[in-house]
Amino acid sequence: MSDGAFRFDGRTIPIRAGDTIAIALYRAGVRIFSRSFKYHRPRGLLCGTGRCANCLMQVGPTPNVRACVTPAEPGLDVRHQNAWPTLELDLLAVNDRLSFLLPPGFYYKTFIRPRSFWPLYEGVLRRAAGLGRIDLAHRPEERYDKIHRHTDVLVVGGGPAGIAAALAAADAGADVILADEQDAPGGHMRWEPGAAGAFAGASERLARHPRVELFMGAVAFGAYEGGLIALHQGTRLIGVRCHELVVATGRHEYPVVFPENDLPGVMLAAAVRRLLRQGVAPGGRAVVVTTGSEGYALAAELSHAGVQVVALADARPPGEGSASVAELLRARQVALFPGHGIVRARGRRHVSGAVLAPLDAAGRVQPSEGVSLACDVIVIAGVTTPEVALLRQSGCAFELDETGEPRLRTKAPHVHAAGAVLGTASVGDQIAEGERVGRAAARAAGIPVVAESGAEPRRANGRSTHRTIAPLTGAQAGGGKAILCTCEDITADDVAYAVAEGFDHAELVKRYLTVSMGPCQGRMCGRAAGELCAAATGRTLAATGATTARPPVQSVPLGVLAGRRLEPVQRTPMHQRHEHAAAVWMDAGAWRRPRAYGDPAEEVRAVRERVGLIDVSTLGKLDLQGRDAVRLLERVYTNRFANLPVGRVRYAVACDDAGIVLDDGTVARLGPERYFVTTTTSGITQMESWLRWWTEGTGWCAHAVNVTSTYAAVNLAGPRARDVLARLTTLDLSPAALPYLGAAEGVVAGIRTLLLRIGFVGELGFEMHFPADYGEAMWDALLEAGAEFGIRPFGVEAQRVLRLEKGHLIVTQDTDALTSILEADMAWACKLDKEDFIGQSALRRLADGGLRQRLVGFEVPAGQLPNEGDQVLDKRGSPVGRVTSARRSPTLGRVIGLAWLPVENGLTAEEFSIRSDGGTVQAMVIATPFYDPSGTRMRS
Amino acid sequence: MMSFLLPCPNCGPRRVDEFSYGGELQARPSADVSPSAWGHYLYGRRNAAGLQTEWWYHRLGCGRWFLAERDTVTNEAQRTYWRPTAGDPPAPLQGAKVLDWRALP
Repeated sequence: MSDGAFRFDGRTIPIRAGDTIAIALYRAGVRIFSRSFKYHRPRGLLCGTGRCANCLMQVGPTPNVRACVTPAEPGLDVRHQNAWPTLELDLLAVNDRLSFLLPPGFYYKTFIRPRSFWPLYEGVLRRAAGLGRIDLAHRPEERYDKIHRHTDVLVVGGGPAGIAAALAAADAGADVILADEQDAPGGHMRWEPGAAGAFAGASERLARHPRVELFMGAVAFGAYEGGLIALHQGTRLIGVRCHELVVATGRHEYPVVFPENDLPGVMLAAAVRRLLRQGVAPGGRAVVVTTGSEGYALAAELSHAGVQVVALADARPPGEGSASVAELLRARQVALFPGHGIVRARGRRHVSGAVLAPLDAAGRVQPSEGVSLACDVIVIAGVTTPEVALLRQSGCAFELDETGEPRLRTKAPHVHAAGAVLGTASVGDQIAEGERVGRAAARAAGIPVVAESGAEPRRANGRSTHRTIAPLTGAQAGGGKAILCTCEDITADDVAYAVAEGFDHAELVKRYLTVSMGPCQGRMCGRAAGELCAAATGRTLAATGATTARPPVQSVPLGVLAGRRLEPVQRTPMHQRHEHAAAVWMDAGAWRRPRAYGDPAEEVRAVRERVGLIDVSTLGKLDLQGRDAVRLLERVYTNRFANLPVGRVRYAVACDDAGIVLDDGTVARLGPERYFVTTTTSGITQMESWLRWWTEGTGWCAHAVNVTSTYAAVNLAGPRARDVLARLTTLDLSPAALPYLGAAEGVVAGIRTLLLRIGFVGELGFEMHFPADYGEAMWDALLEAGAEFGIRPFGVEAQRVLRLEKGHLIVTQDTDALTSILEADMAWACKLDKEDFIGQSALRRLADGGLRQRLVGFEVPAGQLPNEGDQVLDKRGSPVGRVTSARRSPTLGRVIGLAWLPVENGLTAEEFSIRSDGGTVQAMVIATPFYDPSGTRMRS
Repeated sequence: MMSFLLPCPNCGPRRVDEFSYGGELQARPSADVSPSAWGHYLYGRRNAAGLQTEWWYHRLGCGRWFLAERDTVTNEAQRTYWRPTAGDPPAPLQGAKVLDWRALP
């Protein structure tokens, strides 16, 4: 690709410095920029400021790029959207002819029958929906980032008022952030002829001010609670928490509604100015329609640029315009039409003419008195509305006056406004207002600022110098489509249609028509929609009001909201050892754990026959101490701990007040007031918070410290486990000194260790906890000492099989939010007769009233393996339970599992069916544990 | 998007997503109440639109549980404090639920 050009639909488009994509395309002769959403009507450059949806194009892999505010860069690959095969010739434009079949809300009434056609309908709708294409194979190289700032005063809007406010607040001593959507400060003044240099001094001061931070090219799209304002700047999301918010967002233009107002060639003044600045004439013959004095200067600029201005229609009655400018224009053969508006635009795929007509006293065009003119550009000037979205989101209340202009009624705390957004018209007044508001904001932020004396300066009410042109529907004009919402292809007549269907409130009209729900988010259509709604329902504008303002103010890419891809992973201290042993990894919550090092069945056999070693550092661990620690344990856990002697460990289950199992683990007593509590890997956060809540609530002296990452832990299990340990420690490991469920502290392999004799996997086992720094050292020492006994490391999968063979449940896999401890077959761990513990009353009632479901062990004689989560069926085939665990047991040579079955008349079925993989599996209930029921191996 | 600031009595104002919500403050009934009263304690909430006294846990901070009086409509936390252990509890703000502190767990 040569320097200074990009590609558009296969054409080469040259670039000049300062071009946006849209301007470069316009210079190259492109006039149709997109096709509308529903009717596929041709659309051209309209707003020029990135607010409408007309110039959305695909740039490289990115859809929906606003071409009019995106700088043109060499080498870009720009393509059109939503037209096939080309923008010039779009076959789906037939929708425009068939629009009588596609009225608003047609999708609520069609695509219903015949129901068998639904897959076809879905395919058609999917292809027709949306704009642009997402390339699923593309991996974005952009890095989306989030920035967080705190500041005294945030000024949104870098026009005259915003600049003045930012400088005044900063000079007073406040920390200020100024954000503006353009790439340099100045606001709309940057585009006023002759005013370009006016803000050079102020911009320089802003850039050098020690207390001002500038975010240029940043759109404030949402105001959230607590003074949080969200800004979108390129690929960054900036969250600013400000003490005081100053909104100086000014005004934006929007199109007048009249038949065929969406033809390419109808443009707003801002688009024309941007074209002229880059040396591009918008056309050859222009008609300018203005509602205030803006149109006159614009007509002069156009004329100066060589465009023949055929006519200037001024909505204001004769005598309001400046006489000298009028003379100037007449000298250039511009026909003046005071008190006139526009009836329609003529043309098929581009403007070829305009029809102007006088306005009556209410601002309505009289179509019968139209004057037809030939032209190829129609410019709408002076039709603006304040950008109040951010103020409304912040809680300020507005009401509409009789012209539809939003007027601030109540300010929200910590929110200020200044400039054209409030209706302040002259630049001098805007600057003065900005200075005053900036100082007030600084004072409100706590900066000592001398209070203003004297009254608020009288603000010239600029809006009375403009005359609104009422929207003209196609029906009123005798034909044609007057597009109200260009994004969603809603015509002005559709509003009356919606009201006639019964949607007679502004909020209902919005939702039924989807007007203002497109990319412009109501900025192009909101005001006219309100006027049409008021007219159709017979209410005043004030009574109609505006729909609720919510973020975002304009569309924001999902990547910006998501931020950088962060995938925190927790690793155990022995991670490198597992990596080196070629472990197959699995995710257990945020932890990376080894699923297996080879064949899990081999690992199971090793544990049952010899000895195995598993890294269980992920277990939650709490160091619990205090005078009332035992009271806390008695209260929170269902088991009895008051009689737990020092040097013993006991299984512990915690329930909530409804008797539902929350978590399980172990409690070891290491001293008179010192306990070591373990929880499940995923339950530690919940248990820590639960224990702390009960401590806070009771005021007991019990302190729990989360030591999960302080200690590494392993489980050494198997008939030879004692032999392995004996090689590494002088501790007395005999069954007499360290019996089953004993706890001892000592030195193993030179490392201080806590040994707990418990058996999750059902063999002679030692769960060892030691400082995490020694994880690898201990792992190495154990494997080395165990080599002669045939030790094998085993992973989570083998552990799952081993524990299932013993019928041990896993909380949150075999239990859920509706299963109580009694139903989970753990009555032995539940001492209903002890003093009040959490869940006791519910469990007592359950024990009396009867259980509704039970967790049972089962086997599948025929040998099929059901999936965990498969449903248990009753005789009629209805689901009545589910399988929570299932495995092929290498030790027993059978398929075993755990399942929830309903209890009827105090009994569960002895056989049941499982729906699995489209078929049925027959299962038989058998008592657990499946392996070593008397537990002799564990207790050896 | 919830983004309001919650003043932790220990750490000061922090973003609300540093905390876990612990529910409305409720008196825990004694074990011998009727099943429906127990059910109400488990599942019934006043769910006020206005000031509410509630528990919060500073999970990404100091790890302490504390009480807050928050307006559920505007999300302004009017007051936060530790659960009172001795003496008279702070008088509840206008509109907040009045409780028998001694009956708390």
